Amino acid sequence: MEAYTISRDNLRTWLDTLARDYTLIAPVREEETVSLFKPVRGFAEINLGYTNSTVSPKGWLFPQTEEMFFFSTSDGQITLADAQTPGPAVLFGLRPCDIKGILALDPVFNGAYQDCYYQKRRQDTILVGLSCTRVERHCFCTSMGGGPTDGEGADLLLTEMDDGYGIEVLTPRGEELVNRYQQYFDADRENRVIPAREELGKKLARQFTRNVDTTGVKEFLDQHFELPYWGELARRCLGCGICTYICPTCHCFDIFDQSPDGESGVRSRCWDSCMFSHFTRMAGGHNPRPTQKERVRNRFLHKLKYHRDRYNLDGCVGCGRCVTRCPVNIDIRQIIADLQEVARHD
Amino acid sequence: MIGYAPGSEVSRVVPAFISREDEVDRLVWNPLCINNLAKYLLDYRHEPGKVAVVVKGCDSRAIIRLLQDNQISREKVIILGIPCPGLINPDLVAARLDPGAQITVAAVSEQDFSLQTGEGTFTFARDEALLKKCRDCEQHTPVIADFMLGEEIPPNDPGDPFVAVKTLEELPVEERSAYWDKQFSRCLRCYACRNVCPACTCRECVFDQAEPCWVAKANNLSENTAFHLIRAFHVAGRCVDCGECDRVCPVNIPLSLLNRKILKDIKDLFNVPTPGTSLEELPPLGAFTNSDPDEFM
Ligand code: SF4
Ligand code: SF4
Ligand code: SF4
Ligand code: SF4
Ligand code: SF4
Repeated sequence: MEAYTISRDNLRTWLDTLARDYTLIAPVREEETVSLFKPVRGFAEINLGYTNSTVSPKGWLFPQTEEMFFFSTSDGQITLADAQTPGPAVLFGLRPCDIKGILALDPVFNGAYQDCYYQKRRQDTILVGLSCTRVERHCFCTSMGGGPTDGEGADLLLTEMDDGYGIEVLTPRGEELVNRYQQYFDADRENRVIPAREELGKKLARQFTRNVDTTGVKEFLDQHFELPYWGELARRCLGCGICTYICPTCHCFDIFDQSPDGESGVRSRCWDSCMFSHFTRMAGGHNPRPTQKERVRNRFLHKLKYHRDRYNLDGCVGCGRCVTRCPVNIDIRQIIADLQEVARHD
Repeated sequence: MIGYAPGSEVSRVVPAFISREDEVDRLVWNPLCINNLAKYLLDYRHEPGKVAVVVKGCDSRAIIRLLQDNQISREKVIILGIPCPGLINPDLVAARLDPGAQITVAAVSEQDFSLQTGEGTFTFARDEALLKKCRDCEQHTPVIADFMLGEEIPPNDPGDPFVAVKTLEELPVEERSAYWDKQFSRCLRCYACRNVCPACTCRECVFDQAEPCWVAKANNLSENTAFHLIRAFHVAGRCVDCGECDRVCPVNIPLSLLNRKILKDIKDLFNVPTPGTSLEELPPLGAFTNSDPDEFM
């Protein structure tokens, strides 16, 4: 498809305009080492120099807390009212691994079971990707079938160049967005954009500090549910939810009602985590995953096996967030390597 | 036995659980041994046998706390105290050392940290690289131990550890409120701060209770603030200032500032040392005396 270039000045104006015409969600630097995707009012609030955000941007399509509907009762009748849904939005500056994370969520919410909340937000949101400019030491997207300049899944992909940004149009929806703001873009007459991105991709490919090889890991897990290894990992796991909450592909939620007066209120859903001890606790108290061992095992089987079983997609995109933030250094790259090792000795 | 072993990268050290003599070689001690291992004692409360645990000065206070609350019995635990000269900021190590390297020798002096790997020796100026919590540390030598592994380090006078708390206290109330609103609004409610905390030992945590629902699961400023204030009050007088909650928070909420405000108030009101400093001295909010003025009764 088409490619364009945009100068730095025009990028600024374009983003300020986008923020007026759409809800614009973009990376914001919150603290020295914390960047988050948030609604912004214009270019000035955006930080494009981040590598990947502390928490993945999935929260725009699948909010941590989302109101589903309001209810009220009177005269033995119950009345329901839809919760408000946000209108057209642009999710701007997504790193390639996070776009892949969205592709991993799609079949969960938009597959055999249609989730109207996710679907609505997904339809209303234009995804603008941004090639990485450096690789952090925890990144391993190339091991999971992605890459730092890989735009798959985005509507538009931006790549930083010496004199501004290159823009590749990847979908008709991306094309519409570019057409709407034609005045800011120049056609890529000299065909500079794609070579520049490929060049950057080659340069970045050399920066990965650790690659992992997932071959055979799923097949091994297909055959082995019980492994003493899970118990070893679980001993140090704190059972906090950090790894699942910051992950672009984790998607478990819980549904709850809030009704201060017992007559009217709201039903919402909110993120939940398989690492929590009460996650699978049933009415009556039985818990099929009674210890942290079963929980840790579930998380990694989900990433490396179940997601593939169900959707033929990896449940991990190699963003490295859980590697950076786990307080006890439970490192999925190491786990993949360890499983290879265990498989060899099997 | 619970100690430290090398992690998946040169800048990380992990809690290690060993039960055989031939596993002892895995253990390491270096300036990256940051996790407070005392919390893991709770996992072994009802297991047969004894459990040995490695503690630094700050972590040792947590052991006293667990003993005082009868969370673990004294006979059950063997305390391996390591006088700790201070820890290094792992990010600085990660920035300079090859992630795949292994530290073979580590040394700490008055001036610097020096880490040796197969690729040579790397030094870091202590002033820049020392963790903030270590700068404020009074008790480098564990306050309780069955075996002291190393030379005792004399108590330290870090100056006033409450400078940051006082600066915040001086702000007008609206600004203080805005400051905490900004922090709490990004809390993920992942509960890592609770799960890592040696003062959090309740069998059922108030935040996990569905009936009654004290704090809703909804993630918004109001519920998040309720969570933080309840937790701060629940650990009041029992927080041993180990800094773990601060370290683990994935979105860098300055929990030490919150917990230290309460620590400071308790010190001002009761003139007591940091909880966990002495086995005999019970936590001020967990003890009863006949001379209590009962002002509010
Ligand atoms: S793996 Fe790490 S981040 Fe995840 S629950 Fe365990 S301790 Fe927390
Ligand atoms: S499992 Fe970890 S590395 Fe993989 S996508 Fe999730 S947060 Fe990223
Ligand atoms: S994992 Fe890959 S795509 Fe994601 S931030 Fe790192 S280099 Fe970029
Ligand atoms: S660790 Fe941080 S994000 Fe998680 S619950 Fe505690 S304060 Fe919130
Ligand atoms: S509140 Fe924080 S500093 Fe205090 S004991 Fe718990 S983890 Fe340590």
